[in-house]
Amino acid sequence: MKKGLIFLMILAVFAVVFTGCKKEEAKVVEKEATTSNLGASLALETEVMNLKAADGQALIKIGGTVRKVPARPADPSALPETDPLHWWDMEFAGEITNKTNIPESPADGAIGKKVIMIVHGDHPWTTACTNGAQKVAGVYGMDLKIQSPNWDLAVQNQMIDQAINENPDMILLIPLDAKTAPQQARKINKAGVPLILFNTLPDAAAMDYAITWTGPDDFGQFRKLARLWADELGGKGGVAYVQHAPGGSPYFARCFGPVSELAQYAPGIKVLDMQAPGFEADKTMQLVSDWLTRFGDDLKGICAADDSAQSLGIFEALKKAGREDVVVIAAGNSKVGMDLVREGKLHAITYQTAEGDGALAVKTAADWFNGKEIEPIRNLPQHMITIDDVEDFYPPQW
Amino acid sequence: MEGTEVLEKKQQNSPGDDIRTTNYNILGKIFHGAGIYAVAALFLVAGIILQALGVINNFLTAQNMLNIVDAVSMLGIVAVGMAFVTYSGHYADMSVPTTMALTGIIAVQMLQYGFFPAIAAAVAAGLLIGLINAVAIGKFKANPIIWTLAVNYVTLGVIRLVWVNKQIYPDMIAKSQWASDVFDNIYRFRFFNKIGLPVVYMIILVILLNFIMKKTKFGQQLKITGAARKASEFSGVNVERVIGLSFVICALTATLGGLTVTSLSRVGAYYNGAGYDFKAVTAIVIGGMTLAGGRGSIIGVLGGVLIIGLMNNIMTLLGVGTFSQDMIRGIIFIVVVGINAKSLRTLGRDDA
Repeated sequence: MKKGLIFLMILAVFAVVFTGCKKEEAKVVEKEATTSNLGASLALETEVMNLKAADGQALIKIGGTVRKVPARPADPSALPETDPLHWWDMEFAGEITNKTNIPESPADGAIGKKVIMIVHGDHPWTTACTNGAQKVAGVYGMDLKIQSPNWDLAVQNQMIDQAINENPDMILLIPLDAKTAPQQARKINKAGVPLILFNTLPDAAAMDYAITWTGPDDFGQFRKLARLWADELGGKGGVAYVQHAPGGSPYFARCFGPVSELAQYAPGIKVLDMQAPGFEADKTMQLVSDWLTRFGDDLKGICAADDSAQSLGIFEALKKAGREDVVVIAAGNSKVGMDLVREGKLHAITYQTAEGDGALAVKTAADWFNGKEIEPIRNLPQHMITIDDVEDFYPPQW
Repeated sequence: MEGTEVLEKKQQNSPGDDIRTTNYNILGKIFHGAGIYAVAALFLVAGIILQALGVINNFLTAQNMLNIVDAVSMLGIVAVGMAFVTYSGHYADMSVPTTMALTGIIAVQMLQYGFFPAIAAAVAAGLLIGLINAVAIGKFKANPIIWTLAVNYVTLGVIRLVWVNKQIYPDMIAKSQWASDVFDNIYRFRFFNKIGLPVVYMIILVILLNFIMKKTKFGQQLKITGAARKASEFSGVNVERVIGLSFVICALTATLGGLTVTSLSRVGAYYNGAGYDFKAVTAIVIGGMTLAGGRGSIIGVLGGVLIIGLMNNIMTLLGVGTFSQDMIRGIIFIVVVGINAKSLRTLGRDDA
């Protein structure tokens, strides 16, 4: 009996020592795997940075022109809309944040990570955007799942719930609605899933729950574009704005960005009207025809939120009225827009790389998995496409 | 007793006439005779007065009038076709937007084989959708709204699946410059550098379809079917064929609309044609065609289309914002439908 007890005790001691060794061994193996995954992941950096978009441009262009962030006024909304600081909360959303419950980077490499990307809706732009995302994910060997709610906010909310249930390593989200974005971000954050927001700017509160935001600096781009426009207009004349769909950040950035910029840079330019006819060429054509009837020769310039259907509508109306003197600028570099620049019709458009937008979000996720420090905002580069360099951006991405 | 006196008086005034048709005042007579064009005239007068008061400029100019017609011509093309569905008592064809998108994108894709094969393929696709709707709704009596909505979604899915959410460009696909240029001119060609082709398409369609609706045996059968399907069946009309044909006509005009929109936007894409279903129904209802079927005319629908154009024009000239414009359009839609319903009720025909 006594012998048996001693034997059992010895067996137990062996078992404990053996298990401990195994655990140590597992830890070592895990650490080695982590180190090896991280090392392999970091080694892919060069390959990723050498990727090309369909237009031949570099796919990843991080840290475009860094803009100086002015001090936030006490109450930006109290300032007039023509004051650039009125738009501070929107333009610099994410610059001042109170980051909450942001998970620490595992610093174990991006290879094999499960990432769910939820976009805003189906569109040729989105297709190009997700193509760019897949190119980067492909190099890193990430398991990238892309979902589209097709412009339906309720569906996007459902997709977020489902994504959380799948317990991915990261969620990448284009918020469909700026005002709802903080709720969506908070939900993902509370579930402990790392989040990166991209493409459209949400309300500033959403930034508190996200690792970062990546995408185009719409305000910055349009401030630059506005200056080019004003120079062409000689700093004077009446202008009108064809706006983006209300609700999202482009609606404000692509209209009030130039309005507030020109109030300072070219106060001789007068705003005649601003309307949001949607993205149909025929509706924009009717709007611009009516503007030409209403303002006649006083209308010297038009700024469009879209270089595709809206721009075509604008030029059809101008053609009917026999007006070739109106200076038109627009956002985006679709084929239609670039063709119009090439034909000498559109004075300038903004470089809005769709593939680069998706690629930057995935690259930033990879950087975070690799333990790199992530800035609160990662912007795409700013660039204006004119007739001088439009050929560099062919073939178009979408 | 009082009612009998009125009835007798009316019978004395116009023996043999429907007693309910004599009860108009002067304004009522004008509206009854001119129909929706009286409303269009009111808008015109309002525009002229606003111009005289200096509130708006250049309203009554040839260029502005042409702009108005030009802007609504594509809506007119789609609306006069959909009016046949409404006239047949089947409310509306909700598959119109994707019929437009599908025929447009097929035409662009087929431009590689030349302009005429592209048009033929688009027409064949439009015809196929029309025939599917015709069989399901005409023969199997599917609910027209639910069925055509379902067809709309299926077609959308097909476009997205086949073209993977991409848009395609005529000038990149066409192998000959001629084919690309002719396709571009489906929308852009202008007679005398003034009158656009879509305006011509619309006018030809109005004349042709008005003739079919009012002067042919098919038109008469459609009217009876729209007003009372059972009665039509009992009187020997091939109701299935009549209803089916109305959906085919609708699909064919949607095809022309789709080709025109695609030519204007220079891209074949799934979103071409979005919103044309509701816009067309609005024009049809404003044009005095009742959703219950059997009443209204193509000329009236044209009036509804022109009123929408006039309304948009005057509001933009007044500087009314986009959101207010949407609201005003909605209110006018409600008022017109309300007046229409009240007028029908007064006449004892309130089944609309």
